[in-house]
Amino acid sequence: MSLLSLCQWLQDTPWGTAIRESVWVFPIIETTHVLALSISVGTIAIVDLRLFGVILKKEPASEISQQVLPWSVAGFVVMFLTGALLFWCQAVKAYNSPFFRIKLICLFLAGLNALIFQFTVNKTMATWDRDLIPPARARLAGLASLVLWTGVIAAGRTMAYKF
Amino acid sequence: MSFFPFFQWCDATAIGAAIRNSRWLFPLVESIHLLGLTVLLGTVIVLDLRLLGLGLRRQPVARVAAGLSGLMAGSVVVMLGTGLLLFLSEALKCYASPPFRVKMLFLFTAILFHYTAFRAIAKDKRAEARPILSKLVGVVSFALWMGVGLAGRAIGFY
Repeated sequence: MSLLSLCQWLQDTPWGTAIRESVWVFPIIETTHVLALSISVGTIAIVDLRLFGVILKKEPASEISQQVLPWSVAGFVVMFLTGALLFWCQAVKAYNSPFFRIKLICLFLAGLNALIFQFTVNKTMATWDRDLIPPARARLAGLASLVLWTGVIAAGRTMAYKF
Repeated sequence: MSFFPFFQWCDATAIGAAIRNSRWLFPLVESIHLLGLTVLLGTVIVLDLRLLGLGLRRQPVARVAAGLSGLMAGSVVVMLGTGLLLFLSEALKCYASPPFRVKMLFLFTAILFHYTAFRAIAKDKRAEARPILSKLVGVVSFALWMGVGLAGRAIGFY
């Protein structure tokens, strides 16, 4: 079974069809997806900009990330679940869209970046917590996150258009 | 007097037509608009969580607000700038769209609220001593900006 036929099967399931053809459910899921995404990525951006040494420089970096990131994670869960529903009901369109592939790659890399950060730079945070400008590796992680999430959002938005 | 001629004029501007007739410009401007909204909502949420006492409790309200005021103003400018471009390219559609009117109402109120009530409590060195007022401002601010986002998304549907 090819990936395309799997996508076709998925969107032809009763649930996939019901969501796609609904008057209200699809817009509600889509809107929830966008707002959850704004909340999740918007709060991630606050942490990234602190890591990059742009905002809230007077506050410890650890304080910002510990207090803000739980909300990013909560937003991410909602975004991921609603995203899965959106994919479910239009899997073939997503499969055929180059922007969906770009989005998935950016999403994967953003996750990988966060994971690497967690197990490397984050462990030494105590030594540079109060630095106005964090060390190069922390700044790089912040910048990479900003760029990759920008890619996720721009590619996701562009999926709606045909070129 | 009707607003309709004004919307017609906007729709007929060269910039509006250029965006409307380009394959890439509209999605590009739309993406930047959405990125601006993302940063704006992130900033608003951190500020409101602080006012609600749900985050950054060890940092004084006044310091968090001062630290984020540049980002807030910057993202508002990006949103208004790109929003104006999007509007020019589909002014007639906006004229006929109920969610657009709702959005403008929310947007006007949200900006007004931010630079009056919100700024007053954020600059107040004793904001911590007024928990109820702080929380109220936090809730209203969050609701207003979510209203902007919700109604904005709805323009695409209705």
